[in-house]
Amino acid sequence: MISTILLLGTVCSTVTGRIGRVAGTLRRQVLWPIGRTLERLLAPIDRVLDPVADGYNRSLGPYFGEMSGLQFGVIAVSVAGLLTAGTWAPMVGPLLGGGLLRTLALASIWAIFAMSWDIQSGYTGYISFGHSALSGAAGYTTALLIVHVDPTLSIWVTGSVSVLAALVVGLLIALPTLRLEGPYFSLITFVAVLLFYRLTTAFSLLGGIPGFGQPDVFTWDPMVRYYYMAIPMLLIALALTFMARSNLGMILIAIRENEPAVSAAGLNPTKFKLWSFVLSSVPMGIGGVLLVGFTGNVDPSTFVVVDNSIEMIAIAVIGGMSSILGPLGGAFLFEVLNHQVLHGYSTPVRYLFLWLIVLFVLVFARDGLFRAIWHRLGAVRGESE
Amino acid sequence: MSVLEVDNLTKTFGGLVAVDDFSLEVDEGEIVGLIGPNGSGKSTVFNCIMGLYDVTDGEIRFNGEDITSDSTHQIVTKGLSRVSQESNPIDLYSVSENIRLFTLPNSIRSLHGGASDEEIREYAARIDIEDKLHEMPSELPHADVRRLEIAKSLATEPELMLLDEPFAGMNQAEIGALAAQIERFREDGMTMVVVDHNMGGLMELVDRVVVLNNGDFLAAGTPAEIADNDAVQEAYLAGEGL
Ligand SMILES: Nc1ncnc2c1ncn2[C@@H]1O[C@H](COP(=O)(O)OP(=O)(O)OP(=O)(O)O)[C@@H](O)[C@H]1O
Ligand SMILES: [Mg+2]
Repeated sequence: MISTILLLGTVCSTVTGRIGRVAGTLRRQVLWPIGRTLERLLAPIDRVLDPVADGYNRSLGPYFGEMSGLQFGVIAVSVAGLLTAGTWAPMVGPLLGGGLLRTLALASIWAIFAMSWDIQSGYTGYISFGHSALSGAAGYTTALLIVHVDPTLSIWVTGSVSVLAALVVGLLIALPTLRLEGPYFSLITFVAVLLFYRLTTAFSLLGGIPGFGQPDVFTWDPMVRYYYMAIPMLLIALALTFMARSNLGMILIAIRENEPAVSAAGLNPTKFKLWSFVLSSVPMGIGGVLLVGFTGNVDPSTFVVVDNSIEMIAIAVIGGMSSILGPLGGAFLFEVLNHQVLHGYSTPVRYLFLWLIVLFVLVFARDGLFRAIWHRLGAVRGESE
Repeated sequence: MSVLEVDNLTKTFGGLVAVDDFSLEVDEGEIVGLIGPNGSGKSTVFNCIMGLYDVTDGEIRFNGEDITSDSTHQIVTKGLSRVSQESNPIDLYSVSENIRLFTLPNSIRSLHGGASDEEIREYAARIDIEDKLHEMPSELPHADVRRLEIAKSLATEPELMLLDEPFAGMNQAEIGALAAQIERFREDGMTMVVVDHNMGGLMELVDRVVVLNNGDFLAAGTPAEIADNDAVQEAYLAGEGL
């Protein structure tokens, strides 16, 4: 028996040792040279863009974070790409299975969810497993207003009330729980979303499994629909980045790293945690309203199921928690993989693959793919050559 | 006038009486030494003052105002600050950012307030780590990590500072330098309570010593009186001596 265990142990350690060596060789012989080549190619671009980035750093840098020339270039190209997707996506789309504008619109909504989750959970370390309850509250409020109050209400009325509802649900969850320790907080958010799910299916007043089909989609034009989702997403990204790069972001991260130190600094941690929940709930509500306008249907599986909450976390993890822009990138990667790259496979196979990627990122790139890329870009120095 | 008054403080943990009916008064401009063997309740007294523990019984007043049930951040805002026995800087932040955190206003609307780089440098300079501002806490030697803790505390602009074993783990030269800096804080108008478990670094520094033993008040007096006190000698017999 013992010798079997010993044998197994030896085999395991040899195998893992070999994997470690292979990984090491791979890194030295393949990844590093690629990295160095890329760096040599990118350095001149960094040099060219540095003056522009410097101008940005002097004016807006203190409010949105400083960037190197290359980082500035990547952000500029990404924003331009998102703003012009209406023209290029229909041309590129067919190469990826078609429907690219639809995927990008959906990705914008999920980017809103993932960034909202991030400013609360990623920054403070109080991980919420129940954020879909917030977007769900907004979606159901819109549906209930249309079905039970007045089908002709304007989107500005239903939308504002729905965002308010998300905020109220957020505060209902946050107020009693934020004094609790992390794990209890997480469990309660988890239970909250389970409760909400059961509520929606238990009472026909809330539409049951099929939900409500009455809300109208914003538009049937894929291009217009895309901009309806992408523009609010970019504005939310701007606002949350501004918040995250301010004192507030610094304090929220300090809460995650060392809450007693925050108290010792004369800062009230509960107040700041509550505020992070407010900053999270409002865009969650906006995302919920947009999702109604995207699907035209409000039902538990689109809006509430706990899988949605977990998917937001997965997206934030892939992109890089506590960075706002990481989760934004994560959302586009996740949705493009899901609906374009893997479109030929069945839903279970696609999700199997996506969860494996999440696992891979958690094990090998814990800080997230986009944060890793960002730092790599920042390390390219055009000037020193 | 008394800056700090601790009246009949009692703190129990389950059946364990960590602090038993202990009283302490600290006057403006004083440096008071609080000593006692390991586990005698010194840190617990500090934790009660700072609002980290709910006190079992007794009252704590700061500048005449009852702060017994205030929370930590309120107490800090009123002008009390503590350098804890364990250093706990935020490893993700540089020395200067760690200090800056302690200067931020307790307001969700102050998005870009807090100390300027120049002010942060001044806090650091008061404890001689101004040349380490851009280093990460994990790169610092032990003595500098302890100095960073003091700089953070200074950054809250306290009127009264509680120092829990500031000399622990320092060599003789470092202890001398730190004692001189603490002396300078006093000249700048700061009142202080310094905890240590023996008299080593305190002898020259403090005006008055209070001795705790098993959570009980044991003795008080000048450093010389305490060094000669038989009851104190006896309490320390089990340990390593004064
Ligand atoms: N949070 C706690 N829970 C339970 N018991 C505690 C707690 N904090 C302190 N104690 C106990 O209270 C007593 C006093 O501890 P305290 O840390 O105040 O002593 P101290 O004088 O600071 O000792 P040291 O010189 O070792 O720092 C000890 O018996 C300790 O085990
Ligand atoms: Mg102690």
